[in-house]
Amino acid sequence: MAQIDTSDKGGKKKKGAQKKMSIHVDFTPMVDMNMLLITFFMLCTTMIKSQTLQIVLPTNEDVKKEQQSQAKQSEAITLILDTEYNGDKPATDAETGKTIHNIYYYEGIADTTFATNKYLQKEQFIGNVNHETQGIRKILRSKNQQVMEQYIKLKEQWKNKEITKEEFDKAAKQNASDSLKTRPVVVIKPGPNTTYEGLINAIDEMNINQISRYSIELPTHTDTVLLRHYEQANNETIIRPTVRNRAAHMTAATAEGESTPNP
Amino acid sequence: MGKVKIKKKSTLIDMTAMSDVTVLLLTFFMLTSTFLQKEPTIVYTPSSVSEEKVPMNNLVTVLVSSADKSGKLDDPSIAEGKLFISFTGDADSTLSSEKIRGMMLDEAISIYNEQHKNNRIALSDQQKAEFRTINMIGVPFSELSDVLSMSITERDKFMSDMTDPKVGIPIDDNKNRDGRLNDFQVWLKAIYNVAQRINNEQSENLSAEERSQLSNLYTALMRKGQGIAIKADKDTPFTTVQMVFDNLQTMKLNKFSLMTALKSEDEPTN
Repeated sequence: MAQIDTSDKGGKKKKGAQKKMSIHVDFTPMVDMNMLLITFFMLCTTMIKSQTLQIVLPTNEDVKKEQQSQAKQSEAITLILDTEYNGDKPATDAETGKTIHNIYYYEGIADTTFATNKYLQKEQFIGNVNHETQGIRKILRSKNQQVMEQYIKLKEQWKNKEITKEEFDKAAKQNASDSLKTRPVVVIKPGPNTTYEGLINAIDEMNINQISRYSIELPTHTDTVLLRHYEQANNETIIRPTVRNRAAHMTAATAEGESTPNP
Repeated sequence: MGKVKIKKKSTLIDMTAMSDVTVLLLTFFMLTSTFLQKEPTIVYTPSSVSEEKVPMNNLVTVLVSSADKSGKLDDPSIAEGKLFISFTGDADSTLSSEKIRGMMLDEAISIYNEQHKNNRIALSDQQKAEFRTINMIGVPFSELSDVLSMSITERDKFMSDMTDPKVGIPIDDNKNRDGRLNDFQVWLKAIYNVAQRINNEQSENLSAEERSQLSNLYTALMRKGQGIAIKADKDTPFTTVQMVFDNLQTMKLNKFSLMTALKSEDEPTN
């Protein structure tokens, strides 16, 4: 390999000929140095690039009642998010190790008469289990059935290479905002104990289920009333004191007229 | 009796092949990976199915620190919600991160001084030059001059102490402030102004290429919402992140991105 064999075999030694020599280059230090470099690169660099989730929020200036868009009662669905805590750390599921997020949801306008027991239902982010949608995903998916049917067809086409990725993305976007189809309007209301992950999970569900109309709001007084009633009926504790007070350098921010479910 | 001859064997191992392999590995690592950016605190972002990559260029990252996880503090929430901001320019053009940072700093200081007429801050050219080299900054404007005079090691140590009340860009709920901006909003306004002014003004003494770069930044910020990314820990309470959202909304930056890690989901059959 890295040696030059200068020995001439069999030949008679001539007088005054140079000494036989084999030039060995020792590559061991080179390997040492390379290994050090590799270690350096492995420690100081990253191969994972973060992903981003696009989010559009409405203006937070006061909007007059008449200018507010009203969602159809049959299309609206409200999700109140909550994260379970164990002491001052989010509680995790013993099996999966994931943080436990609860979703209390109702369809249409809030039923404060409590005539049926459907005023609030509890669900969790389960995702897909054995290739079947579970938990909140199943409910949102059934609400967005018309869009999802078309979306699955498009995805099939893309997988069979009938359309390109760009065409698929464009068609999927158009499909998700097709006003001729029955599409839900989702209001996401993260409660005071919700972690950031809970919110991301909720937005993620919107993307998975191709829901184009959703908004993020703070829980209102009505929501607290619903939660309180649910607590009593199911003998559960949902409204707990806020686990963490906001750190001293951030002053408390509760918009006027809105009460967070905090006793 | 014949002597038992012990064969002399060379103990040299040929390392050439080994060297080849290591060089290949090294090349692979150098080409595929990107350098870790120095950040004052580590956050674990939640995961989502979104496949959109974080843009490499023209990005403003807002880092929200998480509660202390070491368990050494009596109140772990002291460390929570500290804001750090970083500006990244375009590596391929003359409008590099350094230049962008310099423009943002000048704009931010002039906005700040306009707001705080009695508490003006002034930075020396050396301090400004120092600022351009820093990837992520998270101190109030009043501390900026002191922090920029520190050595790199001192500064890193100072900024990674989340319990220090002087660390983190001040933010509040921006209510009842009579139009006065908090430090975080001053930065946001500076970003907005720099992007917008140069997008509109043609008489700027910048090259055509630089202008087109800045207008890319403007488009990214204003139209697509790709210019601002929020990086927060998955266990950070929503109320803390909400305050950052609220301030962005107040500054009319309604479109932005949230940094997440990739999560894969299997296809449901129903």
